[in-house]
Amino acid sequence: MADLQKLYDAVLNGDQKAAIAVTEQALAEGITPLDLITNYMVPAMDEVGRRFECEDYFVPELLLSARAMKGSLTLIRPLLTASGIEPAGRVAIGTVKGDLHDIGKNLVASMLEGGGFEVIDLGADVPPEKFIDAIQNKGVRVVALSALLTVTMPSMRKTIDALKEAGVRDQVKVMVGGAPVTQQFAEEIGADGYSDNANAAVALARKLVAEGAPA
Amino acid sequence: MRLELQPRPGEHLADLLFAAGVEFPCGGESNCGGCRVRVVAGHVPATSQMREVISEEDLAAGWRLACTAESTGPVTVEIEQWTASILTDDQSVALEPRNGFGAVVDLGTTTLVVQLVDLATGEVLGVETALNPQARYGADVMSRIQYDLQHPGVLTDLIRRELGAMLRRLTQEDVLEEILLVGNTAMHHLFCGLSVEPLASVPFESPTLGAVSFKAADLDWPGPATFLPNLGGFVGSDLLAGIVATGLDESPAPVALFDIGTNGEIVMGSRAGIVCASTAAGPAFEGGRISKGMRAGSGAIDSVHPVNGAFECRVIGGVDPRGICGSGLVDAAAAARELDIVQPNGRVTTPGREVLLAPGVALSQGDLRELQLAKGAMAAGLKMLAHPKPERLYLAGAFGNYVRQASATSIGLLPGNCPVEPVGNSALRGARMLLLSPTARLQRLNRLLERTAHVELAADPAFQDLFAESMLLAPFTLP
Repeated sequence: MADLQKLYDAVLNGDQKAAIAVTEQALAEGITPLDLITNYMVPAMDEVGRRFECEDYFVPELLLSARAMKGSLTLIRPLLTASGIEPAGRVAIGTVKGDLHDIGKNLVASMLEGGGFEVIDLGADVPPEKFIDAIQNKGVRVVALSALLTVTMPSMRKTIDALKEAGVRDQVKVMVGGAPVTQQFAEEIGADGYSDNANAAVALARKLVAEGAPA
Repeated sequence: MRLELQPRPGEHLADLLFAAGVEFPCGGESNCGGCRVRVVAGHVPATSQMREVISEEDLAAGWRLACTAESTGPVTVEIEQWTASILTDDQSVALEPRNGFGAVVDLGTTTLVVQLVDLATGEVLGVETALNPQARYGADVMSRIQYDLQHPGVLTDLIRRELGAMLRRLTQEDVLEEILLVGNTAMHHLFCGLSVEPLASVPFESPTLGAVSFKAADLDWPGPATFLPNLGGFVGSDLLAGIVATGLDESPAPVALFDIGTNGEIVMGSRAGIVCASTAAGPAFEGGRISKGMRAGSGAIDSVHPVNGAFECRVIGGVDPRGICGSGLVDAAAAARELDIVQPNGRVTTPGREVLLAPGVALSQGDLRELQLAKGAMAAGLKMLAHPKPERLYLAGAFGNYVRQASATSIGLLPGNCPVEPVGNSALRGARMLLLSPTARLQRLNRLLERTAHVELAADPAFQDLFAESMLLAPFTLP
């Protein structure tokens, strides 16, 4: 029998090898993907988030835990899709055009996956058209925009404006984040939400989905 | 920087100046002259102590000592900050003698240094230092770029006027044969009046990286000026001059030049070829975003040793500690690691989650995180470029001059297996070497630029892993 507590520990301690090994064994023994995710991986990522909030964990630990979870998810995701299980919501995330920095964006993406979201990672230096395409063709309910530089913050505004022009702004909730971004700036450019760290971004995304972009 | 102050009855102007950040290097004994401020409006009487350290001429121009300044009415003072800690350079360098005088300018994001040079002897005849007046429009290059995009020309005017005034204070009536300027790419563009738009977004490659020359009349300066060419991205002619000063471009063996600052720069190479990159370390090494952080002035803890399980701190000026500067921060982190108050992953283990260094000065958990981000970015940049392993690591700039190497190595800011050599203000020295070799200059620069490639670190997926790994407060070695 697979010791599933080890999956929780592997994610919490950022041990990708162990996470993959336990997942493989568990799946071979017929344990359902949903059981692994909801009872072990999500609680582990919640604990990672809690430790980050109280400053026991920092960026490196977050990255390692996210990587461990990702390793496990690559095994699980095809099974989820096959069994038709719906994710908590579908999020398109990217660093806005003009900005190459993606460490923060990657962290948020991983935390969202840990929180049960399906994440479409559009990468860095993403032009508005790509976000529009994701909304029109991929059933995205939340768009998450990241910028690390003061000089690329205007690109966030341009992206939101482009969503309006394309007539898709009302179909999604837009959340923004990144070192120089503030709540005030988020409001100015007409975003629906702002988060100042990767952990809070998960709660924000849940709230935005609950508020409900029209289904 | 200008301050407008109005002491209330019973208040001392000196206390207001101190509260506003003017530092008294000798602790207010009025014997070092390091706290000079210039009164531009209002009345501050010159005391006998001031007359001992300030010339009649300067007193007449409004210079006073902040530490004993008194006034009963409103005053406006100009603060000559940073004077004590701006690094200049007076090493002798090789020379092709010619007649007349020249000048070199180190146009830093934070500080300015101008040297007047005798072209016949190579001797430095005078030095002027100042804060970059653009600093009030943003501390880092990105906020300056942003400001310039919104208010074109303001910063260009400001810096040209300030440097012109500094040059004229040095030359009086004399004419200069030539003035050479060095600085990072953003400073270059803002001084030369070039569009900073390409520096505001990916791929941060400007089409106007080359040298720009001005006639004396263009700038209303005492002589014609040339801003030397940039290396690529944000890596500017200050690093180009650093390469010249350290002879990196003529070295048979691979060596590295490391400039630790808000924008960290790494140059790696030999006469066979050079790569360079910049990395956004943030302001932690200058005391920025650290709760008790401050510049290296009076009252700053600048060195920390663990002694019998406790911290022993040295405070600049021998006064009560009121903050900590960059070199003190690196020392404190190393000492806290040694005392096991901080774990390698940066977690503070004390009940209050802070490292109490001295009464009133503690490092918070957040301060340790800022340091981890800053040093992680620098070390990761070095690991990305240091192939093959450099035989020597030159440390440029003020921070490199003051940081204790043992501490920097033990927290993994510097590698443990590479000899480190502080080279002081290599930008200024390199500029002076180029000023004094007018015929060989062009050839050397052309050859250097041809062989130098700029690398965008953030574009490399390997950088993220190295960055995360480099945030550990633990020693590392270069393979």
